[in-house]
Amino acid sequence: MNIKPNRSFHPPRPPSGQTSPAPNPGTPKSFFGYFFFKKSNILFPCLAASLLAAPPALADQSFLTSVKKHHLLTSTQPANGDQNPYALVVAPVTAGTVQKDDVLVDNFNNNGNLQGTGSTIIDYRPATGQTTVFAAIPRDLPGCPGGVGLTTAMTMLSSGWVIVGSAPSTDGTTKTLGAGCLIVLDANGKVAGTIAGPQIDDPWGNMAVIDHGATAILFVSNAGFGIGAPGQPVQHKATVLRLNLAIAAGKPPAVTSQTVIGDGFGAQADAGVFLIGPTGLALGGNGALYVSDAIGNQVVAIPDAATRAGSAGQGKEISKGGLLSRPLAMGFAPNGHLLVVNGLNGQVVEIDPASGQQLGAMWIDADEAQTPPGSGDLFGITMQPDGKGFYYVEDDVNALVQAQ
Amino acid sequence: MRASRRGLLGAAGLGAAAGVAGAAGLAQAQVAPSRLESGQADSEPFYGRHQAGITTPMQDSLFFASFDLTATHRQDVTGLLRAWTNAAARLTAGLPAAPMTPDASDPPADSGEAVGLNPSRLTLTFGFGPELFSLNGEDRYGLAARRPAALVDLPRFAGDELVAGQCGGALCIQACANDPQVAFHAVRQLARMGYGVASLKWVQSGFSTANKTQGTPRNLMGFKDGTMNPTAAAAPAVVWAGAEGPEWMNGGSYMVARRIRIALEHWDRMKLAFQEQTIGRHKASGAPLGGKAEFDTPDFAATDSDGNSIIPDTSHVRLAAPANNGGATILRRGYSYNDGANFVAERWPPWRQGIEYDCGLFFQSFQKDPREGFIKLFDRMSKIDALNQFTTHTGSAIFAYPPGVQPGQYIGQALFEAV
Repeated sequence: MNIKPNRSFHPPRPPSGQTSPAPNPGTPKSFFGYFFFKKSNILFPCLAASLLAAPPALADQSFLTSVKKHHLLTSTQPANGDQNPYALVVAPVTAGTVQKDDVLVDNFNNNGNLQGTGSTIIDYRPATGQTTVFAAIPRDLPGCPGGVGLTTAMTMLSSGWVIVGSAPSTDGTTKTLGAGCLIVLDANGKVAGTIAGPQIDDPWGNMAVIDHGATAILFVSNAGFGIGAPGQPVQHKATVLRLNLAIAAGKPPAVTSQTVIGDGFGAQADAGVFLIGPTGLALGGNGALYVSDAIGNQVVAIPDAATRAGSAGQGKEISKGGLLSRPLAMGFAPNGHLLVVNGLNGQVVEIDPASGQQLGAMWIDADEAQTPPGSGDLFGITMQPDGKGFYYVEDDVNALVQAQ
Repeated sequence: MRASRRGLLGAAGLGAAAGVAGAAGLAQAQVAPSRLESGQADSEPFYGRHQAGITTPMQDSLFFASFDLTATHRQDVTGLLRAWTNAAARLTAGLPAAPMTPDASDPPADSGEAVGLNPSRLTLTFGFGPELFSLNGEDRYGLAARRPAALVDLPRFAGDELVAGQCGGALCIQACANDPQVAFHAVRQLARMGYGVASLKWVQSGFSTANKTQGTPRNLMGFKDGTMNPTAAAAPAVVWAGAEGPEWMNGGSYMVARRIRIALEHWDRMKLAFQEQTIGRHKASGAPLGGKAEFDTPDFAATDSDGNSIIPDTSHVRLAAPANNGGATILRRGYSYNDGANFVAERWPPWRQGIEYDCGLFFQSFQKDPREGFIKLFDRMSKIDALNQFTTHTGSAIFAYPPGVQPGQYIGQALFEAV
């Protein structure tokens, strides 16, 4: 919901479900150990509770402090009524019906709002402001066990192929969860193939990609292993899988090898949000793959992600708790910081991956129709090509929003 | 003239003529309902170029009924419409539905509960639904070719949770009156005339403060509802179908109804400022955000120093404004409803569940063409209106309201007699 987090009525809430009254946000002041910025509604870790402004050094280093404006770009609902936007991908090239810098958004729910049943990808074209349907994928797809319910796992390669994950259900819950697959689409949105197998079980989180054109490496989290129906305890079976692809001219990508580079992540079936599991993947310049561990409420790093021969288990803790509140999709800001959106409130959190320090959080969805505001609304996030801002989705109003 | 309902027995000699002639002498109301000021007469004219109950200033109460047609012969349908027309002229004038006879061997011609009540500004407005023209592909009454293009099947809108038993119909009667018993009484009399020809499909009662309060009435969310309604001068061009469609609808109007359940318990937990951001207006004054008075033109381009919209992008007023919809305009004439309480699971965290009010708005809109009115307006609203977090559309219907009649004619006569 593109109601601006406003100082007068979108007060910050404590990040971990506390319910104490929020302070009057008319002036910046300390609040549960965080600073609330009047102008930008950014929460900053409080180094000294008596300060009336954020630590200048931190503010100077922050990407989020430069973000002021939130603008709803388009409804993400296509004519078939699919809803609950998840993945966001900025097209790296012009190919087929897609133009470079178009924003592709997929939907996880169908028109009855059943999770795990969405089957469409829309294409928003910033150049014209127009939105079209890029792909309407058959719900029963041979090679995709359980059907189609499009997840946050989506990418477009420089060769023009689009790859999108499916974590399918037939009743909107994990009672009917199938293992799903990765669906390969051509640049016209037509299904060109599927990728499935024992190591793929509900590919879930936003993908990280190394794209060399004729070859590519995908990183994808798999959150479905053994989670069962809602009400079951957390399972520590979720993985991060590396897929090496070969893309021959005119041929869909073919998997040349698969390697589990992370495992033992917590995942759980959930009656409200379908499932909770590792979601955000972002590849750092240091070769580490950063993973948002939603169950563990932390961000971890898997070193040497592109080259390692085996699993790093649950990786190394980078940042835990604090402003994080069920971290979901994640990406890198131009300053090298991680931006990760929260599932349990409408905030995006900025983290310095080198130090693990949380620089601040911004209410990008402060919709008070949810408690806490924006809870359950955020999922995908991706940077604008010019680096000046980012795109994100809002489930509460099924919309693509730009912040810059 | 202050008509009053006569006693049941012995009233036979008092005629429709007296009541009707008096009623017809009243000035035809031609103002948009939201701009009503007090001081109406007790009865509304039945005969006229247009049916009453559309641009007529709103009354306190609504009783709306949708009917299935069970008749197999066209003559049965026209016979019913003729009977309804005659009875409606009497009822709106404060008379029993039919002249009464003291014959104890027959059911009373009028059930009698309106005896002693004045006409209460009763209007009875009749409409034809898509199912009159064809039902499951069957052209039962030879009317399929005369279905107006504007009487479209409504598309499925985002978020629709329509209940089959609250949708559609072949015929409808919209009864509005300042006394709920008068409104219900009227529909009850008309429905019983239809036994064997038309059967009730669904009904909806409603209430409004429009008749009692100055200015725009408030809905159950506490906000003024209808501020953007066309003025009295502009309403005719918005509402009345003209020569662009079939002649039998010239002077009629197309009505789209939506039964909109509102999660009041959810809404009541929202801070005032958030409520106002959701609507895009101030609650007390009705002024658009950034404005001072209710009828200030909303400044949709206004931003704060960061460039964010003062009237939020997803606010109801922004999405509903004709200025943001290519000029699309409708006349809203909705009534709040209260149908008790039942079990609900709210759609948003923390996903409260329990017994909640089944309350909301029976939205009615009038326009000369729904494709350029309600459908155009609501397509985008159904997707991104922040208000959708509190509202659920559970019923839906579209009806063609034919033009009014003169004495001796019956409602829809031109449709059935068209060459």
